[in-house]
Formats: sequence, C-alpha cells, structure tokens
Amino acid sequence: MDKPLAVLTDGPLLDAATLTTELGWTLKPEGLCQDEVCVLVPDRAALEREGQLDLRVFAQLLDRPIVVDEPTNVVALGAPRQARRDALDLRAPDFTLPDLEGTEHSLADHRSKKKLLVAFSSW
Amino acid sequence: MADHNFQVIAVAIDEDDTKVAEFTNGITYPVLMDRQHLLTELYAISNVPSVLMIDEDDTIVQPNWNAYATDTFKDYTGIDSTEHLDAIRRWVIEGTPMMAASEAREAVGDLTEDEEQARLRFRLANHFRSAGDDANAERNFDLAAELAPHDWTIRRAMMPLRGGDPFGDEFFALAEEYNAAGRPFHGVASRSA
Repeated sequence: MDKPLAVLTDGPLLDAATLTTELGWTLKPEGLCQDEVCVLVPDRAALEREGQLDLRVFAQLLDRPIVVDEPTNVVALGAPRQARRDALDLRAPDFTLPDLEGTEHSLADHRSKKKLLVAFSSW
Repeated sequence: MADHNFQVIAVAIDEDDTKVAEFTNGITYPVLMDRQHLLTELYAISNVPSVLMIDEDDTIVQPNWNAYATDTFKDYTGIDSTEHLDAIRRWVIEGTPMMAASEAREAVGDLTEDEEQARLRFRLANHFRSAGDDANAERNFDLAAELAPHDWTIRRAMMPLRGGDPFGDEFFALAEEYNAAGRPFHGVASRSA
C-alpha cells in the first residue's frame, strides 16, 4: 500500500526490494508500479544505476517533495503534490490515520456523508 | 446532527497522545493522530483549528476555515463560536454552503516550495528527536523555522518538542511576529467579534 510520507535513514540510493517494502512501489518493465497503477519512467538510467534506485529521481517522477539531510544522509519524502492540487481544486484528498487506540480510519470510509474535518492540536 | 448523514472527523496535528487524549473525553466521533503532519501537506494547513466541510461526493465546500466549535479561546481570539456552529448547521440541515465554489477555490493557496521543505525538515527533526539525536533534531527544527517562519504547524508545534511552552512567552513572541507579517494563513480567516 502507498506510504504518503517516509523518512529513510540509508541515504538517497536504495535497492528495488527496499523501494517496495518501504514505499510500496515496484520497478517493472512498464515503469514504477503500485497495485494497478504504473508511472512511466522516461529516463531509466537516471533512476537506476548499478542496481541502486535514486530516490531523488523517484520523487521527481512521482512529483513528491524530497529533502536529503546532507550531514546525516537521512531522507524525508513528502506526499504527492497532486493531492494538494486536488484539494485546491476542491476535491478532498483521501488519507488514512490511526485513532488513539491504533485503529486506522480513512476519509473514504465516510463517502456519501457530509463530513466536518477538524484539524486541531494540543499546542 | 447524526441523523442528517453527517460525520465529524477530528485530526490532531500532534505528537503527544497523552495530551490529545485529554481533549477526547466523551467524544464519540473518531479522533485521529497525525503525528507526521500529513494533513498540513495534503490540505496546505498552516494553523489550527482549521475546519473543512466536505460534502457527500468528497467535494470541499468550505476549505481550511479558522472556526471554533467552543468559546474556549474567545477571550484571546475575540472569535465567537455561535456563528460558526450556525453556519455548520445550515450546511448540514439545509445544504447551504458558506461560500461559492469560486471563492472557496481562491481561499487556500498552494504551499510555497519553502513551506513544503519546512514540513520535511520538521519530520526529519522529529525523527532525530525520537532517536535521541538532539543536535540533528535542533538543526532541522531551526531549518524548518527559517523556511516557514509564519506557519504555526511548524513554529508553534515545535515548541513542546524542543522543551518550550506553546502557551508561554515564546507563543506571544511568535504571535507578535505573525501579526507584524500580516497574519498569513492558508484558508478562510475568522472575523473577530
């Protein structure tokens, strides 16, 4: 399943198996794939070098923000920008988050209802 | 209003389960923990509370609205919850949205590249904090603050994580900075009473 956010501690290069376990994407002949969806990879050599995949190119292909923390080589990968474009176009992006007991809930669980989404905090 | 096919979903943009649990006594709707601040990225949220009305086909009819369901902070904000609750009722019961789609579309605005990067730096800082690496946590918190100096989900949210008090002097200093910058907010600000 898709992991919209990730922090990876082994730098911006990783092997194909880690891409699948950590990020839910698999490199196939047809492109980068997740479930039934594949994204074309126009420049395969940029993404894949000596058996390692470059997360910076991965992020670019999926239009996700990325930062590599230079001193530590830890990588943070953000959510696809398409989700925010959808929100700006008034289509609510789906998300899945746990409640305090750890049970996961999605916005999509409440399709066909009116929803009041309240973002709050203790700070 | 449950018989009107209506669901409240609360999302805590927060790392502290114990403090969030203090808010949830007697609440029957789902209260979700967004420890990574995912929603601040997906919905360009820059402060709390940000309330959204989302209709049956997942169209946002009221984006990022700085609305209050109670008068807890009325003395400080000057914002009265009554008109907010009335507006929510009108939408749930009569189906009347608060603003036209064209206005709603204009209200939020995209995150800047710096605001995007600030969210990533904030997550890195939290990652290092959880790992007990305070030096790298502090460095990344500082970078996040520089990138998004007027974003409360960055600046205020980091206060308790760095041993500060989000209701103390630091908060008032940030509020002054924020006011001086013209109170930038991704969404529909509330009118003070």
